[in-house]
Formats: sequence, structure tokens, C-alpha cells
Amino acid sequence: MPDPRHERFAQVLVDYSTSVGEGDLVLIESTPPARPLIAALYRRVIEAGGHPELRIGLDGAAEALLAGGNDEQLAWISPRLRGDAKEANVRIAIEAETNTRSLTATDPARQAIFARSRSHLRDMTMERAAAGELRRVVTAFPTNASAQDAEMSLADYEDFVYRAGFLDEDDPVASWKALGEKLERLAVWLGTKKELRVVTEGTDLTVGVDGRTWIPCDGKENFPDGEVFTGPVENSVEGRVRFSFPAPHAGRLVRDIELRFEGGEVVEAQASEGEDFLREMLAMDDGARRLGEFAFGMNDSVQEFTGHTLFDEKLGGTVHMALGKAYPESGGKNESALHWDLVCDLRGESEVHADGELVYRNGEFLPDLF
Amino acid sequence: MQSCLVSVGYKTVVTDARIARLADLIVDYSLELQPGQVFRIDALDAASPLALAFYRSAIRAGAFAYPGLGLEGTLELLLEHGSEEQIEYIAPHQWDEIEELDAIATIWSESNTRALSRVDASRHANYLAAQRRLHNRRWERIAAGEMRWCGTLFPTNAHAQDAGMSLSSYEDFVYSACHVDTEDAAEHWRLVAASLQSRAQELNSVKELRILGQDTDLRLSVDGRTWISAEGSYNMPDGEVFTSPVENATEGEIRYTFPAIYHGREVEDIRLRFEGGSVVHAEAARGDDYLKTLLEMDKGARILGEVAFGLNYEIDRFTRNILFDEKIGGTMHLALGSAFTQAGGNNTSGLHWDMICDLREDGEVYADGELIWKAGRFLHEPVPGTAAVETAERA
Repeated sequence: MPDPRHERFAQVLVDYSTSVGEGDLVLIESTPPARPLIAALYRRVIEAGGHPELRIGLDGAAEALLAGGNDEQLAWISPRLRGDAKEANVRIAIEAETNTRSLTATDPARQAIFARSRSHLRDMTMERAAAGELRRVVTAFPTNASAQDAEMSLADYEDFVYRAGFLDEDDPVASWKALGEKLERLAVWLGTKKELRVVTEGTDLTVGVDGRTWIPCDGKENFPDGEVFTGPVENSVEGRVRFSFPAPHAGRLVRDIELRFEGGEVVEAQASEGEDFLREMLAMDDGARRLGEFAFGMNDSVQEFTGHTLFDEKLGGTVHMALGKAYPESGGKNESALHWDLVCDLRGESEVHADGELVYRNGEFLPDLF
Repeated sequence: MQSCLVSVGYKTVVTDARIARLADLIVDYSLELQPGQVFRIDALDAASPLALAFYRSAIRAGAFAYPGLGLEGTLELLLEHGSEEQIEYIAPHQWDEIEELDAIATIWSESNTRALSRVDASRHANYLAAQRRLHNRRWERIAAGEMRWCGTLFPTNAHAQDAGMSLSSYEDFVYSACHVDTEDAAEHWRLVAASLQSRAQELNSVKELRILGQDTDLRLSVDGRTWISAEGSYNMPDGEVFTSPVENATEGEIRYTFPAIYHGREVEDIRLRFEGGSVVHAEAARGDDYLKTLLEMDKGARILGEVAFGLNYEIDRFTRNILFDEKIGGTMHLALGSAFTQAGGNNTSGLHWDMICDLREDGEVYADGELIWKAGRFLHEPVPGTAAVETAERA
């Protein structure tokens, strides 16, 4: 039975998030489980006058390549990927996984080769987006694999996903605009700060943000959305941080990551599970040991940890920081093939200080700051 | 006690060794994929298991592979809702890709073979015409030896339904037609190739063919034309020898016992009369109007562009899919419309419509007056000595 939320979902992504117009080349990037949403998007893009093109991933191909390919095959870029990076005006990426752990047994060093070979395409994408030549949004379609990670039934998980995108409301776009305005004010206010200090169990971390731009995220690049982020000053990060949420990345899961920074660089790293993978990712290149992003999760419709970064990093009452590549529009300069978001829950006993002043306690900004 | 009646999920996931063998066969034998070659796997998502097998095979062969996966149902949306410009749009990268590719495998696989039945025919025609420009460039590169292509099929319930079979029987049918139910399919196809090449060579010296069958007495000239052996390079399964007849020489009558299918529409019991190479009378028990419309498409649509012997005896029944039907062992097919230039044919047309004539019961074919084929078989093995296909297989 068609779920009316798919059509509303498609409408918001095409009309609001990416504003598809006449003649746009629109890539819809996903896998077969997202079929109902893909079909709804395809139709909506046509109605908007765009040229939809499908990029459907082949389940199992990444695993086969990582297991059996030589280094040259791993690093090879298809003419289609190259063309897409140059030509697309709009990219709508829909994660729809059938198995979120499918790459657990692959060699992380080979994953690193794979990631490095593609980093210039990702950089080109980021630059074209920053220059206004490309609108792109990343979203997720609920599948059993994701529901399983979230420890929910598929039906409950669907409700969670659509609620997180305000798609259970009559006018989701109005809600996104309202949240956007609030985040805009927060971003302006944060822009006046030089240094943030985050304190919670296992964590006392100082991050320099002087002169950097805070970006409010209102459903245009991620969907659902609801965060403000910036690129920290590269050599400013000092102290310890413990990420209470498990961190999925590249088809794997790492638990209980603890990092110690000195002069902006990770000098100590441990994890209770997946530590080898963590070390391999940190060794990917020089920039992989520095933070490329620091952000506050501000979506109060996301209240549960689900093991899916797209949602977890938006969770109201969290901060996240990414090892690796910075977004150029934030003023961050860090370069890396890695961009790995790690989420830290602040809803328990916790504080954030801005330039020495307490501004955030137990998951919420203090009232009347912005 | 717990009943052991267990409901099976929406899809049983069982690894079928024949899928991997089919991929290996096409990668190694049909396409001869080399290390470093750029290879695209074109398929709809229903063919994912075979597409993945292709990908694995190609990685093993050292090639640079990527899938070009489509999703069923989107073409209907484009044809129904798209503007003319949207329907005819080809993204620039598609032209670049065609220049860079060394090989393409196309997997035909649908979960509804009639999904396009109700789309607007002229909009569909516009779409096909736009795509044809891309196809033409592909075929130019194939003809120049710069690129390889092979088409195959992944069995689904929809194709099984068209064939009037269960999915598992249909899978057996498909895989045995490709000979991947045996360990060394490539060796089988090498023997087939040798045999078909000898047959083609022999037929090259023939000037006139006369086909006799039920309500059929047709003479056609193949004088000076080249017979080509279809031995698994472009299609899998394969197994035919074909040429393009002399355009103005076909005389007589033919009755096609199998329905002839064009773009998903069936025309039943077609009878044609030829004079001076062109159809002068045509009738069909069902779909007569459609037949006549297609014959009116252009001048070349009334002239034969192909004559062929179907020689794959693993394909023993009509399944409403031309990939298999035209190779049914013991049949001939004659296509109205465009001819093959590599066979020496000159006929041009927007049409190329293969119609299959079952000669397994009482058909006879004479070559320059000599009986060469009876009841679906050539009377002797082709010279020089490649009699060995079946014998070698048994051994």
C-alpha cells in the first residue's frame, strides 16, 4: 500500500531542500529498498521540469571490490562517477541499507585506499556546492536493517524517521523554516564566540572557533536536519572527549571512542570495539587526526539514539565533531579523505562554556541567549 | 509439537551456482574481458543477483567495472509525465561513457513484461528515437572492434509467466540454453562456434534457398551474401547462423506458426506473400491491423532483412522472448526490415521484426535444389569435420 508520507517526503526534498527547476540534471542516488521513495522523487522531479537520473547501488558490490580488487581497481573512478561530480545540478542521496555491517570483515587499510581515491570527487562536490553550482541533500529511507540498529520494529522506525523530518505534520516546510530561523539566530550568536569548552563525563575539551562561520542547517543538505556547525581552528583543540554513542562508519561500528587532543591533533585514541579500524582511519592522512567540524544537534523531534549518524548527530541535546575534512563554507581548512562524525550525548550532567561563560547545561542552551 | 510448516519470506535467497557460471561465461568467453578494461553492467534491479555475479567476475578478471542499474517503473513515469524535452533528454556524460567503455553487458530482466502496454506509443517512439542515437554510436564502436557487447537474461516470474512455466522450470530452461548447468560452459560454446562457423562457410556457396512447410513455399536468394555464425559473443544463449537475403528476389508464401511479437504486442498466425522481394499480401488471425501498420512504416519494412537457422536444440519451446525464440533448434526466422551490412545486406528500415517459422514437424529446406534440412535438422554435419559438438559433450 502506498504510504502518503512518501509523496510528502518527495515533495519536501524536491521543492524545499533542493528547489529543483527547469532543466536541472538531478541524480537520485540510492539502493533498491528505497524504491517507493525513489519512484515518488522521480515523478516529482519530472513535474518540476528536471531531468531525473537514477544511480542505484548494487548491493554487495563494495564488499566484492574490497575483498577481491587489486589496488588499482580499488582506486579506479568510473566515467559515470566523474561525470556526475562535474555535471549534476542536484543530488538527492537516499541511504537505504539492507545490512549496516556488511563491510565488517573487510580490511580497513583497503577501505582507506578506496576512500582516498574518491576524496577529490567529494572535494569537488563540496566546492561546487559552496559555489552554488550544486544543491545536494542526504536523507535516509527506513529499512529493517536501520530499524534493527535502532532496536525498533520497522513500523516504529518509520514513524521515528518521518517524525524527525516533520513529515507527520501538515506543513513540514513551515516547521523547517521556523527551526531554520531559530538556528540562524543561534549561528549569529555563536559567531561572536572565540572558544568553546565542553564538559561532561569523560570529557573536558576546548575548541577554538575564533573567526569561523557557524552554519544553520534547516533541511537543505541533510534531511532530517537541525544542527549548527562550524570548522574549528585546526590547531586549537585541547583535552579529552568521550563519545557515548557508538560510531558507525563505512559499514562498521566502533564503540566507546575516547580521544585526547594536543595542539589540535589526536595524540591518544581508544575504543572498546573496533579500535583497529579507528586507528586505521586516524592514519588515513594528516588531516584525519584533526577536527573538521564541531556542531550542536538541535532537532527535538529526534530524542532517541538509533545508531544512524544522520539522525544521531541532529539529536537535540548532543554535540558532534567530525574527524577529517572541513566544510569550506564554515571557514575550516582541514583537508582529509576522512569525514567521520562522532556524537557526544550532553543530556546528562554536562556543561558548555563559551569564552568562559556557561551557556549550555544538560542538553540545552540557557534561555534568552539568542 | 510445533508444526514445521514455515512460511517462506518474500524472496528465498539461495545461491544458484548457475548464476556465477553465466557471469563467468560472458565475462571470459563472450566479452573476453581483459585486465584494465572498462566494463559496465546494465540491468534493472530485478537482475541484481546476476549483476553482482558479473561485478565479481569482472573484478576477478582485473577489469574496471561498474553497474548501470535502473529501477523498474521509472520509464513509465517519464513517458507518462515528462515533456517532450525530458523524454528526449540524454545527459552529456552518457556520450562520454560510450567513448570510454571497452565492454557492456546488458541483462534483460523484468518483473512485468507488459508494463509499457498502455503508454502513449508516439511518446515511446520519441524516447526510443532519442536513445537510438546513443545506440548507433555504441554499434559504430562495436563494428570498429573498439568495444564489445553481450546481452543476456536473468529469469524472473514475469518471463516465466510469458513462457507458461514455473520460475524454477524456467530457470532450468534458461540456464540449460546457456549451458551453464554444466561445469565447462565455455568449452561447449567453443565447440558450438567451430560448428556454426563451418556451417556458415558452407552456406556461403549457396545461391538460392527454398523453404517448404505447412502453407509455406518460399524462395529466396542469398547469392553473394555472407552467413554469420552467432556463437555466444553478442547474445547468451546463442546458436544461429544468419544472413541478409538479396532484396528483390524473395518469391512465394510463408506462414508463421509462432506469434510474432513487436514491442510487446503479439500478432498471431501471420501469412505473407512475396513478389519481387516485397510483401504483396499480408494477413494475420489476430493483430492484422498492427501487422499492416508496421508494414507501412517505410519502404524497407516490406522486404526481408534477415534469414536465419535456429540451431540451439536446448531451446525446445516458444517462450515469447526473442532472445530464446529465434534460436529454437529446428526453426528458421525471417525478419522484415533492416538488414545486416556485415552480411552484405542493403535493406534499410526503421523496422527489424523477427518472425519465427517452426520447421520441426515437416519442414524442408533446399539449397540450389538439393535437400539440406528436414524436420528441423541439417541432413549432414558441416564440413570440415566439426561433427564433434554433441559427441564431444557426451564424452
